[in-house]
Amino acid sequence: MTTASLHGFAKARKIYEDRGLRARELKAEGKKIMGYYCSYPPLELITGMDFVPFRVQGSINEAITKADSSIPTIVCPIIRSSLDMAMKGKYDFMEGFVTAHSCDCQEKFCRIWEHELKLPFHHYIDMPHVVRENSFEQFKEKLIMFQKAMEAYTGRALDRERIQQEIRVHNRQRALVRKLYDLRKENPPLLSGAENLEIMIALMCMPIEEGSIMLEEIIQEALSRGNGPGEKDTRLMLWGSPLTETNLIQMIESLNAHVVMDDICVGTRHYWADVEATSDPMDGIVKRYLSEIKCPRTFRESSSTFEEEMESRFGYLKDFARDWHVDGILLQSVKYCDTHGYEVPALKAYFEKIGLPAMYLEHEYTMAAEAQLKNRVEAFLEIIA
Amino acid sequence: MADKEKTKKFINRLKSRNIVRPMVNKMYAEGVTAANEGRPLAWSMVNWWEGDIVMRAMGVTPVYPENYGTVCASTGMAQKYQAICDAEGFPTHLCGYSRNHIGYAAEMKKLGKIPPDAPLGGMAEPTFMLGSGIACDTRFKWFQALRQYYDVPVWTIDTPSYDHTEDIDSDIHEHNIRHKVKELERFIEFLENLLGKKIDMDLVEDYLENQEKVFQLWWEINELRKAKPCPMHSRDFWTLMVPGYYMTYDKDALNLYHQVYEEVKARTDAGIGAVTPEKYRLMFAELPPWHSLDFFEKLAERGWNFVVESQGYHPPEPMSLKTGDSVLERLTRWTYWVNVGHIRKAKEKNYPLFGPVQYYYNWAREYQVDGFITHSLLSCRTATFWLPHAANILKEELLVPSMNMEGDIVDFTVFDPDLVLKNAEAFEESMDYHRGERKRKGLEW
Ligand code: SF4
Ligand code: SF4
Repeated sequence: MTTASLHGFAKARKIYEDRGLRARELKAEGKKIMGYYCSYPPLELITGMDFVPFRVQGSINEAITKADSSIPTIVCPIIRSSLDMAMKGKYDFMEGFVTAHSCDCQEKFCRIWEHELKLPFHHYIDMPHVVRENSFEQFKEKLIMFQKAMEAYTGRALDRERIQQEIRVHNRQRALVRKLYDLRKENPPLLSGAENLEIMIALMCMPIEEGSIMLEEIIQEALSRGNGPGEKDTRLMLWGSPLTETNLIQMIESLNAHVVMDDICVGTRHYWADVEATSDPMDGIVKRYLSEIKCPRTFRESSSTFEEEMESRFGYLKDFARDWHVDGILLQSVKYCDTHGYEVPALKAYFEKIGLPAMYLEHEYTMAAEAQLKNRVEAFLEIIA
Repeated sequence: MADKEKTKKFINRLKSRNIVRPMVNKMYAEGVTAANEGRPLAWSMVNWWEGDIVMRAMGVTPVYPENYGTVCASTGMAQKYQAICDAEGFPTHLCGYSRNHIGYAAEMKKLGKIPPDAPLGGMAEPTFMLGSGIACDTRFKWFQALRQYYDVPVWTIDTPSYDHTEDIDSDIHEHNIRHKVKELERFIEFLENLLGKKIDMDLVEDYLENQEKVFQLWWEINELRKAKPCPMHSRDFWTLMVPGYYMTYDKDALNLYHQVYEEVKARTDAGIGAVTPEKYRLMFAELPPWHSLDFFEKLAERGWNFVVESQGYHPPEPMSLKTGDSVLERLTRWTYWVNVGHIRKAKEKNYPLFGPVQYYYNWAREYQVDGFITHSLLSCRTATFWLPHAANILKEELLVPSMNMEGDIVDFTVFDPDLVLKNAEAFEESMDYHRGERKRKGLEW
């Protein structure tokens, strides 16, 4: 049975469980698969070159056995796991791989990937860490380099109209994702946090238009089904580093809480902002990817006071919390993630200031400590109640 | 007997290194004096000179919390500050230097003054903080986080990823330099607004000229270390790197490197090594165990001479500057060059290309090393990330074996000297074996 015969939730579940399934089918049909990492490689350019984008992720279910010969154990375990899976042939359907300078681990990891995997196409997008006028010019130049590299590789030019068309296709998917998230504004939510993550992950492993159709189906199913996730006392928002499995959210939702909103890069960070229509479409892409993705990897110029700075850095989270009727925040990060780690005390202070309880959970990218994490979440829920 | 053994030294240290200590003391004292006199003080990340000269020309005294991490590590105070940082809710896996400094800053905030037991007189409250996009994310996230304690402006000078374009003639390098010049221009605007005065570009140029002379000498000193036996050990390099890192604008730094050059040259001419006999030539990557530097005596006793090390601390090699460059372009080029010069070198020598581990490859050949010692650091991902990859490349391409020592820049409990010494014995066998293999394969050494 191919995934073509599946729809809605069932399709998302199938692809979530076997991430490469759709990609392998497409490859067999002659399509070209371009792997990418994180939320920063502009997907509009990748699909504009007729590649199917596939988000490379690690897996907590797979022991790291090969990558340790190339990457030390004190770096991001998601990255280690991703390389490990690639070295074991789990991503053998990919023709190329694109990364960006979202964090230092990624900057470094992509070179090792290139050395170990030797795919036909590799590209690293150097992107500024700082958002100021000249950063946009710099990033644009780097994206033009990326476009040229793909053009040289494929022998095909990517024109303005096609980029504009791709922007529309991706923005449409983003709008559908926002609609999907709206389902959890309800009380009780019409979708669980674990289901939501499953859908997001599946979406990143299939062609964009196909994913949008799946989203429409899921939204209809969720609106019409009678057995949503049910009543619970607490509504939580989850912040932090990427999750590659639903187990953490499942653990939280096995307690008396729903995860109704997130700020993670396999969730809102990836999908929230649209690309604006600009006369040179690259300008809209540059703006969206450099300044509209709200990830702690980006340094925004400091405001005149720390209070104002917190508002400009974290204010969007206050809006999320208000609109999704959030009672508390779970800050989570995988160990060894610096960009998220430094953010924690200031974020906690911010939430304290606006009267929202917040707790930090650090995990090792294994479920070995699940019982301990569960105890902590339970204690947190008691405080909120 | 035990006492006697303790004092016996196997590394022939340079006499001229003694000039450094008073310079370091002066650097810290200057920071406190500047704050006491109401002059602007910056907490600054190492920025590979581009920001330092600009700050100095604006009358700002920078002090460097990363360096302060090494000071606190070697005096044992880092444990206390790190514990404070942990109690403030920062994750414990973060960079040891940053945890030290965040703990220090939190303590100073609580006391309302420099902690009385702070090493080297401490670091006073800053007027602003200068982060850097070079090397690691920590170096701007750390200062952003510190704003919670010191509500002063934080600026970050951004930087491109230098070495992802192995074509040294690619236009992208000139483009990156233009971007960096703009970054410096923005930084100058920021300072001018903050301090209410204009920058004196003649002063920038004077400082830059001094810096270029420092670079030339510092580079030539390291070139002399290719001699067999190597006349200067990594221990001296690490001591001497401080002025070349933080004080290139200063005439005292120039004077220091003159004296060091004379001493190293005299040793080279006389065939005097830093370790006698020099049985093995080693390359060290990356940040040293600041709290346990005496440990290298034990390796020296075995005839291990450390001849090259710590890429990030080396000066850029001489470069022909473009005519017509503005002062800021010139300044930027050096910062850029220190990171891509090894690609040019590889091209010139017709070496194969290995991206970010190129400098290890080049040095292994140029310094003809027998072994590669990697120091994996529990709390620094940046300095640790490449180590296994670099070790793989050196082994595969040049038949140079490696040995890892686990440690940390700040936390001395992770470092196990007995284990390293035990491994050293077996590693000597590996170095001997690979020496023979290299000969058989026709490599130069
Ligand atoms: S989790 Fe953190 S370290 Fe890992 S890839 Fe993401 S930002 Fe980088
Ligand atoms: S390079 Fe390492 S030691 Fe230096 S600031 Fe970054 S994490 Fe810390």
